Amino acid sequence: MDLKLYKPFFIKFQSLIALFILCLLISLISDKFLTVSNGWNVMRQISVNICISVGMTLVVLTAGIDLSVGSVLALCGALTAGLLKNGLAFPQADLFIGFTILGAMLVGVLAGTFLGAFNGWAITKFKVPAFIATLAMLTIARGLTLLYTQGFPISGLGDDFAYLGTGWFLSIPVPVWISGIVVLLAVILTTKTRLGRYIYAIGGNESASRLSGINISRVKIIVYAISGALAAIGGLIVTSRLDSAQPNAGSSYELDSIAAVVIGGTSLSGGKGTILGTVLGAIIIGVLNNGLVLLNVSPFWQQVVKGAVILLAVIIDKSNSKND
Amino acid sequence: MKKFLKYLLALIAFLFIGYHSVYFKKLTEVSARTSTEKINISQYTRTFWNKKLLPSLNKALSLNELIALLKTDPEKAFSTYGKALGIGDLKYFMVKGVGKVMKVNENEVALLSTATTENLVVNIATEYVYGNAVRDASGLINTNDFDNTSDFNEISAGINQIIRDEVLPDFKKRIASGDRIEFVGAIELNKKFLNLSDIEITPVQLKILK
Repeated sequence: MDLKLYKPFFIKFQSLIALFILCLLISLISDKFLTVSNGWNVMRQISVNICISVGMTLVVLTAGIDLSVGSVLALCGALTAGLLKNGLAFPQADLFIGFTILGAMLVGVLAGTFLGAFNGWAITKFKVPAFIATLAMLTIARGLTLLYTQGFPISGLGDDFAYLGTGWFLSIPVPVWISGIVVLLAVILTTKTRLGRYIYAIGGNESASRLSGINISRVKIIVYAISGALAAIGGLIVTSRLDSAQPNAGSSYELDSIAAVVIGGTSLSGGKGTILGTVLGAIIIGVLNNGLVLLNVSPFWQQVVKGAVILLAVIIDKSNSKND
Repeated sequence: MKKFLKYLLALIAFLFIGYHSVYFKKLTEVSARTSTEKINISQYTRTFWNKKLLPSLNKALSLNELIALLKTDPEKAFSTYGKALGIGDLKYFMVKGVGKVMKVNENEVALLSTATTENLVVNIATEYVYGNAVRDASGLINTNDFDNTSDFNEISAGINQIIRDEVLPDFKKRIASGDRIEFVGAIELNKKFLNLSDIEITPVQLKILK
């Protein structure tokens, strides 16, 4: 049997094969893994990472990076919780503006969109490397979160808001619906729209894209704005699940989302990758996390294993690219 | 015409979303209402102690019964009697019993819990009373009644202060080795790493029987 014949198949479905092997291994060791409740538990847990990772994929496809998603998630979650709980007070005008769940959520998502767009603007207008601009936003957003919350969690947001993170709709957890809709829209965006083609073109060859008339700055600002908005949606889910906005929420979420993107086969140099690949990457990370917990692996070792898996994914990706 | 219709629809959508997103009130009205609704933590703690916790102590589970069940069917012991406000392996139990004081230490009283088949020795904390054992073991406080976790934790701090100020001083003065005592208190047990040889009771009621 000539294995070389199957090589393209293995390369194309490497993430899926990795996920299958991972599931098989964990289910052989732990009888709790392959249960319906654990399946939904994993899906619920990864829904936040899927939302963030979808935005990160768009950014990485343009050969950029967004390190601020974890902090933006925390700030938008805190803002939503704060407005929902305390509203806005204007003592001089003796005016109180209260926010409904819809209103508070809209403000949260708009804030995320604005922060993302600001990242894009700084990167395109001042030619700041994406790594630096978003690293700065990571610190700014975290600082603003601590300022807004004064370092305390904002809790007691009510059962209606909790439904977003803990509820079920048609026997499927609500966060899974949200991440599913996000994925569907992103797939349509990347495969069926002009903006999607521009994103791939910019990542593939920015100079050529500019010469062919694509407004690079506009596309990048939109992409970073989408990433910010999706981080904010992740923030809403996290806040709702915990029934509180934690000032330190979302710490290191950016690393999990970059890991999902890389494991999903998106090239960090841009122009190559798919949303569904990223979803698969997020599922692999989620299953890995879940499996390590079920197998009673120490949290310290969990980080080591996760890092090793990411490294392995990049090495495999590199060796595949070399062979292409 | 088409453009006008587009703008009109956008305006209607904006107004619809805006109407369902925010509401306006007089700040003075809102402030007056929230100040009356705001929980006075020390008052809440005192009321909780007198009117909820103390009357509920007669429902506390016998420590000996709990130990026996933990040895035979720990799953049932935890699911039936264990209380916790969050998820995890730590559960809290409100227990009562009678025992003989083996030793009076600086920080706790070592007590031989009577009527156990294996002469179980437990400790009653007399110096370092901290944590959420009593609050959580009571099962009488709802987290949703509190605006923030800080207030919620203040309740535990308040309960522990009452124990330090009102339950322990007299007991510590009078207690001696060999005394028989009656106790009601809270214990914390880890479902995953169950260790029955190191049980510490946070006391709520202590009575020296002599």
